[in-house]
Amino acid sequence: MNGQEGRLSAVPVTDGPDDGPAIETTALTKRYRRAAALSDCSVTVPQGRISALVGPNGAGKSTLLRLLTGLARPSGGSALVLGAAPRQDPAFLADIGYLAQDVPLYGRLSAADHIRACAALNKRWDAASARTRLRELGVPLDRAVGTLSGGQRAQVGLSLALAKQPRLLLLDEPVAALDPLARRHFLSTITTAMAEAEGQLTVVLSSHLIGDLERICDHLILLAESRVQLCGDIEDLLAEHTVLVGPRKDTAAIEQAHTVVHATQTPRQSTLVVKRGGPVIDPAYQAEDISLEELVLAYMGAAAPAAYAHLTAVGEDQ
Amino acid sequence: MTWLTWRQYRMATVISAALFAAFAALVVFTGLHMAAQFHDAFGSCIAANTCRFPVDDVSLGSGPLGFIIEFTLAVPAVLGMFIGAPLVAREIETGTGQFSWTQAVTRRRWLAVKAGWLLLAALAWGGAVGALVTWWSGPKNAAYLNAFNPGTFDVQGIMPAVYSLFAMALGIAAGTVIRRVLPALGVTLFGYFGIRLMIMGWIRQHYMTPVTTKFSVAQGAPFIPKGAAWQLAQGFLGPNGPLAPPSGNSGAIVGNGFPLSDVPAACRVHLASQPARVLSCLDKHGYAQYVTYQPATRYWPFQFIEAGIFIALTAALVALAFAIINRRDA
Repeated sequence: MNGQEGRLSAVPVTDGPDDGPAIETTALTKRYRRAAALSDCSVTVPQGRISALVGPNGAGKSTLLRLLTGLARPSGGSALVLGAAPRQDPAFLADIGYLAQDVPLYGRLSAADHIRACAALNKRWDAASARTRLRELGVPLDRAVGTLSGGQRAQVGLSLALAKQPRLLLLDEPVAALDPLARRHFLSTITTAMAEAEGQLTVVLSSHLIGDLERICDHLILLAESRVQLCGDIEDLLAEHTVLVGPRKDTAAIEQAHTVVHATQTPRQSTLVVKRGGPVIDPAYQAEDISLEELVLAYMGAAAPAAYAHLTAVGEDQ
Repeated sequence: MTWLTWRQYRMATVISAALFAAFAALVVFTGLHMAAQFHDAFGSCIAANTCRFPVDDVSLGSGPLGFIIEFTLAVPAVLGMFIGAPLVAREIETGTGQFSWTQAVTRRRWLAVKAGWLLLAALAWGGAVGALVTWWSGPKNAAYLNAFNPGTFDVQGIMPAVYSLFAMALGIAAGTVIRRVLPALGVTLFGYFGIRLMIMGWIRQHYMTPVTTKFSVAQGAPFIPKGAAWQLAQGFLGPNGPLAPPSGNSGAIVGNGFPLSDVPAACRVHLASQPARVLSCLDKHGYAQYVTYQPATRYWPFQFIEAGIFIALTAALVALAFAIINRRDA
């Protein structure tokens, strides 16, 4: 086993197409028999980022991740992952670390069994780091994975994905079932791995917990209704958007200058989330910085007005 | 890969090894007993070269064990259903395919290694069961000369090994195409028995043109092909081919069985007075008895022909699994 571990560090980091984005999709579409799971999805994730993949259930997050791994094949459009189309090729698969939803592992096999099996399945395989990480977290290596807690299983899955030393790590709602402490451990494992990879690792993490994402992510992909609503650098996105709070009145003037993403009306006041087209000059409105959560909710609301209509009732003083 | 395959199937291996050991103990114990029985019954006539096989007055290997031996025909189906069908289907059902198929090994290579080992295991298991049953059946084969008959042909020689290969491949292919364990299991079960029954019942007898031997209508004792031949048909031939068998004893010539309705007018005149002359008259008018059979010497050629058919089916099923596993989303 030591021989295998020794070989890993010798894998050269190639240049050339690697300088491009880690992920670039163009009009990527996946249709199932009844409906489209992902429509016309064009996103770009630069290398070395942690991208938050958010959206309501059924928005196409898992589909997008599965298309990026090559587990699913697109019905239309194309994806470039690390400069190449996802495909059945050991070299491509070696660069991808994927943790599917609900962490599917072989329940009767132990973490040590998984580590050993993966050593045979991967030329580049850092078994020692996986073992060390799991020991540090107190995850028993010799117990059947099926008997571990959700948090421990997620850590096993993540450690296995990281031990591949991937260049792209795709995590599908890995923290959904974890308690806050396990979540904290999980996320810190990711950030530590990011730091160790020195810009050679890109992560896409899907989750509903925007607070968590806000702490560790610097890039956002927002899907709703199987379409991309928003994609870009979180800092830029937050800087471009503003919350305007003002009296309830005709918003036509605002709409001319800015793009109103979403408006919430109460009898007395309007709260508008706008993508600014310039400085806000209307003195009747008070401009506030937007939080990631407000931004995400505004775009989700814009994509599916009916589903979010009831949110306007929150805090209403009727 | 190989280690993972072993790790995942070691429990199944241990269980099936235990079952096999129990079966082997039973077969060896009763087999030795049956050999002794055979020797007691036929030892002296074999020494004097006066035995007349097949015999029907000695009961060898009957009872529950004989039933179990016939039931070994199901061993390949069990392997295909419980080992073959879940190979891919369970990975998809439980989602573990998303784990294994995103390691740095292509799905096809994953399938090649796993299916390779499972097919090898099926070959070994089926071969071992087949060898035991063949050995056990030795005295029965010698006494009853029935090794070529459907039912016994299928559980002896190389057939169990070949059927096991086929059933395993059928299970793997069904699981890959259907992607759900239970339906794949059902398809494997019905596919295995369906295809086998079809080949046993309708196709096997045509592997080589059967031999037909004709003999006089008057001959009392029927012609018996040499050794363990597979008798396909027997009866009476007229100038225009085989005659339909008579309806019951009343419709036939007494002591002979020739259908009365087929007796031509020229011979009919003797019916009342001299029945013996009816038979020679029938011979003169081109009637005869016949036996159609596959000679005993064709036993091994038939085993190999059938093995060839099932190995070709196995190859086709494996190829199907390989084509599908890459084409479908996992």
